[in-house]
Amino acid sequence: MLLVALVACVAAIVPGPRWPRIWLACMVVGTGSILAAAVAVFAGAPDWEWWSAVRVGGERLHLRLDGLSAWFMALLGLVGGLGAIYARGYWPDDAHADSAARGRLWWGVMILSMGFVLLSSNGLHFLIAWELFALSGFFLITLDRQRREIRAAGWLYLAASHAGTLCLFAFFAALAGRTGSWELGPMRAHPELGPLFWLAFAGFAVKAGLFPLHIWLPSAHANAPSHVSALMSGVAIKMGVYGLIRFSGWLPTPAAVGWTITGIGAATALLGIALALAQNDLKRLLAYCSVENVGIIAVGLGGGLLGAADGDAGWGRLLLAGALLHVWNHGLFKALLFFAAGSVLHATGTREMSRLGGLWRSMPWTAVLFTIGAMAVSGLPPLNGFVSEWMIYLGLFDVVAGRSPAAWAAMPAVLMLALAGALALAAFVKAGAVVFLGAPRTRVAAEAHECGGSMRGAMVVLAAGCLAIGLAPAVFWPAAGRAVAAWNPPWAAGAPPAPLPTLGLANAVLVTLALAAGAGLWASARARGLRRSLTWDCGYASPAARMQYTGGAMAAIAVGWFGWIFGAERRQRRPRGPFPAGAHRIERMPEAVLERLIGPVAGAVMQVAGAARQLQHGRLQYYLVYLAGGLTALGTLVLVGEMK
Amino acid sequence: MNSTLNLLIGLAMGLNLLALGSSRLPSVIRAMAVQGVVLGMLPVVITREFHWPVALVALVTMGVKGFGIPALLRRAMRAANIEREIEPFIGFVPSLLLGAIGTIAAVAVAQRLPLLPEHAGTLLVPGALATIFTGFVLLVGRVKAISQVCGYLIMENGIYLFGMLLLHSTPLLVESGILLDLTVGVFVIGIIVDRIQRAFDSLDTRKLTVLRE
Amino acid sequence: MSTLLDILLRLTLWILLAPLLPGIINQVKAWVAGRRGPPVLQLYYDLSRLWRKSVVMSTLASPGFVAGPAVAWVALVGAAILLPIGPFGGGLSFKGDVILLVYLLAVARFCTTWAAMETGSAFEGMGAAREVSYAVLTEAALITAILALSVESGSVALDRMLALSAGTGAVLLAAGLFAVLLAENCRVPFDDPNTHLELTMIHEVMVLDHSGPPLAVILHGAALKLLLFAVLLSEAVLPMGRMSPLAATAALVGAVGAVTIGVGLVESLLARFAFRRVPLLLTIAFLLCLFALLLAWKGGPA
Repeated sequence: MLLVALVACVAAIVPGPRWPRIWLACMVVGTGSILAAAVAVFAGAPDWEWWSAVRVGGERLHLRLDGLSAWFMALLGLVGGLGAIYARGYWPDDAHADSAARGRLWWGVMILSMGFVLLSSNGLHFLIAWELFALSGFFLITLDRQRREIRAAGWLYLAASHAGTLCLFAFFAALAGRTGSWELGPMRAHPELGPLFWLAFAGFAVKAGLFPLHIWLPSAHANAPSHVSALMSGVAIKMGVYGLIRFSGWLPTPAAVGWTITGIGAATALLGIALALAQNDLKRLLAYCSVENVGIIAVGLGGGLLGAADGDAGWGRLLLAGALLHVWNHGLFKALLFFAAGSVLHATGTREMSRLGGLWRSMPWTAVLFTIGAMAVSGLPPLNGFVSEWMIYLGLFDVVAGRSPAAWAAMPAVLMLALAGALALAAFVKAGAVVFLGAPRTRVAAEAHECGGSMRGAMVVLAAGCLAIGLAPAVFWPAAGRAVAAWNPPWAAGAPPAPLPTLGLANAVLVTLALAAGAGLWASARARGLRRSLTWDCGYASPAARMQYTGGAMAAIAVGWFGWIFGAERRQRRPRGPFPAGAHRIERMPEAVLERLIGPVAGAVMQVAGAARQLQHGRLQYYLVYLAGGLTALGTLVLVGEMK
Repeated sequence: MNSTLNLLIGLAMGLNLLALGSSRLPSVIRAMAVQGVVLGMLPVVITREFHWPVALVALVTMGVKGFGIPALLRRAMRAANIEREIEPFIGFVPSLLLGAIGTIAAVAVAQRLPLLPEHAGTLLVPGALATIFTGFVLLVGRVKAISQVCGYLIMENGIYLFGMLLLHSTPLLVESGILLDLTVGVFVIGIIVDRIQRAFDSLDTRKLTVLRE
Repeated sequence: MSTLLDILLRLTLWILLAPLLPGIINQVKAWVAGRRGPPVLQLYYDLSRLWRKSVVMSTLASPGFVAGPAVAWVALVGAAILLPIGPFGGGLSFKGDVILLVYLLAVARFCTTWAAMETGSAFEGMGAAREVSYAVLTEAALITAILALSVESGSVALDRMLALSAGTGAVLLAAGLFAVLLAENCRVPFDDPNTHLELTMIHEVMVLDHSGPPLAVILHGAALKLLLFAVLLSEAVLPMGRMSPLAATAALVGAVGAVTIGVGLVESLLARFAFRRVPLLLTIAFLLCLFALLLAWKGGPA
């Protein structure tokens, strides 16, 4: 199966740039077989291991497909394939003559390299695949090279990504140095390897976008083409999560790791969603929301680690399974949301929410699908986001109810998750309502058009996935159980430690009743006579589109509470006097970490470097003087050394 | 006995938060006064049997803290024509949260301290720490001199609570020392408030920065 | 079959009793003010009248404007079914139902704010913004209260969590949850349910443009939510599990009545707070619940 995937993906890469149809067919076959391979593992096929006969870089290729890899492979296959389908409508050749072909090429490379990252069981090849994956990400982000901010986003991504890769280089090299081989696998029996995990943690946390290492994420995800954003957000940042889960399972982890990951995760969730709420750019909002969701996943993983350290299988298993399920769920609904945001961008040419509005009339499909995604991402039942958040909550509550020492991590985490959940709801009511409801704020919004069939189809599949996990969570438990077992073998067997079927039943009843009630009320309103008239608004005679509540106003209250953390910038001129002249109020939430912390430090480094450049001016005489000076200094050093 | 004691100190800790959260000067003064009365009762509760001197001290403390000083402050407030709305330097919600964190931290810290067994079960030490911290937040976080006086007095209540630890050994001495200190403090502050008011036409301590040269 | 019957019975009970509470509150307010006041059953009359009316919809609104209130109502009914009624337990009791309950309330909030934004009115947008923002703080208080109950009972299922009292922290918890009740149901001092103009800030603003059956559904849902919180508060504080069924039922009814009268009294005696003080009040509610949680933790195993 994987061979088919490999062949198909390579086949897609080679002629892809020239023939879009063949590329699409190959991509669908390739990603489909990736998905099928993962499903086969969940259906009970044994773990698959393979060593190549030839050596690459002095090492034999070692591939391994176990429950955990398969879990991420499934997501990769699904979102990768749907993204390819979506791209056909979203980034067609006639509109993007040169970049469409490049996009197809790098899409194939990215899928392939991510697949290798997931399968590779050799440190050297892992790093190679990882590097290729990061590079293809860069090229995909900067498909549209014309605009300056896109290039800036791409460079920021590349820089951050390589900072992370540097940590990983150190990690794998140190690991290989201590164990004597590049081979990876379970090595929990060597407690001396424990501290190395911190290196891996730093490297993978950059990719996953944990606070405060998320700096590259918002601009990269917002500026990339939407199908790329979906892949980056839905799958690529999950590679970081995969790394964290994988190596926390294989390596013996220091005791503090569980606490750290839980704490950072909870903080990431809260701050990420607070920043999301503050955004006015639809895709940037979604990107920050990805930061939040990675935080939620990290809470689950941290809880799992605490559970493993504690030895108690019940809640640890639940938390880790919840984290894994959230990986899928976030992949599904965030891809859906980015696709929907892409359709809006495609139809109107803007991501600024304050220029949109009333799109439901011209884009009913996108509006409904975005609503489903918004409900899922806010963690509302009966959709999938609720199921995984529920599992994580349940695990944390079990910790608290059992009064184990880990409760001191669990109680703040529950609180932060609740706050993040309520803020997520606020953020997505804001996003959905400002973009799709009310009256169009500008001409472009009024003249929007619905997206094409391929884009719509991809979104429908994702929405169906969201609903399916919400309605039948128990179906997915064995797969999650397999992945959990791959992480920690003693947690292998057993029924879910949570009443998943009951929850699925409750969700199903809820969906049925909600549909029935909505349709019933609509019917009864029509039966009693339904008149259309101007918005009443307490008797306002002529409402105009610009009078509508803006997204910024909507978020202002809650964002104000976080202003002191992020240092919100505000410029305003209040209306004064009886006949006020123009007034305005501009609020901006700066990228606090980037602008306040890394910016100044980088600036200082650049200054020092600039000063050093003064020495480099191209005059031979001076270079000779440097040479002489250097030699004298060396000689002095030697002399001093001998005198001692 | 311990439960009564803890109830009273818990009440005082609640009053701390009330003082931090209230936006009007009279209610801060009221919270402080009630806290004074509550704390005044403590000596009687701590010494199990009834002693005249202790009861007297308790009575005087209650009188001074609960009625005397608040009356003085209220008079100062009227005399200086101070606005009743407090101008916070640290907002009400943040100071409230700070106070709550301080209270929790005080309880957590007190559990680690090597205390006498008779004090280990009580809230005396955490209560004292939390009250001092509250007073500190009020001192730092409020603009007007008179609300800073309230902060100082609440801080003093915390010190008084610490004094309760020594009640068994030197009851009267501690008490009278505290009371004396307090009375002098209030008088001094009263005079200062009056002077500031006359000199600057306001009690905004930010204006005192003019004096730095 | 009997489960189904049980659920149907609960459904009827909740739906029929809910509109009684606002009537009682209005009676209390009228009594304090020395007026006669509207009859206790006024809301029932209003609802039946509204149900027969035709609908006027904004030209901007999508069908979601009507479907939103319906879904919100379903979510509230679902939450009510999950909540145990004194000695009779919950309609569908399972581990983790309490989280479902909290999130069903969030579904209702999502739908009402979504429907409010349909009209494109600045006024309704303002209400929606306030609703979602203040909900952040009430949610923090509510989840902390639930944590306290969970620590107290060592369980994550509603019927066991609510069977015990919240121990030493019961008073704190009662005060905190009462504030949450007032805020979530938009009562004084957070909001004024009586006015229809600028003074009303959250809930009534959002429903300004609704009319006819959708408005009836919204009003009924609001009443249901009030009853839900009253029952939750009563059961969280009273040790239901230690009483005989009859006594527990009587205590529950009495406590819900007391809470309702309390809301009425608060409404008569307090003025609505300035808006910038709302977060302060909600923070106090959160802190009350937090201290209840810490007390429950210190209280030792249940």
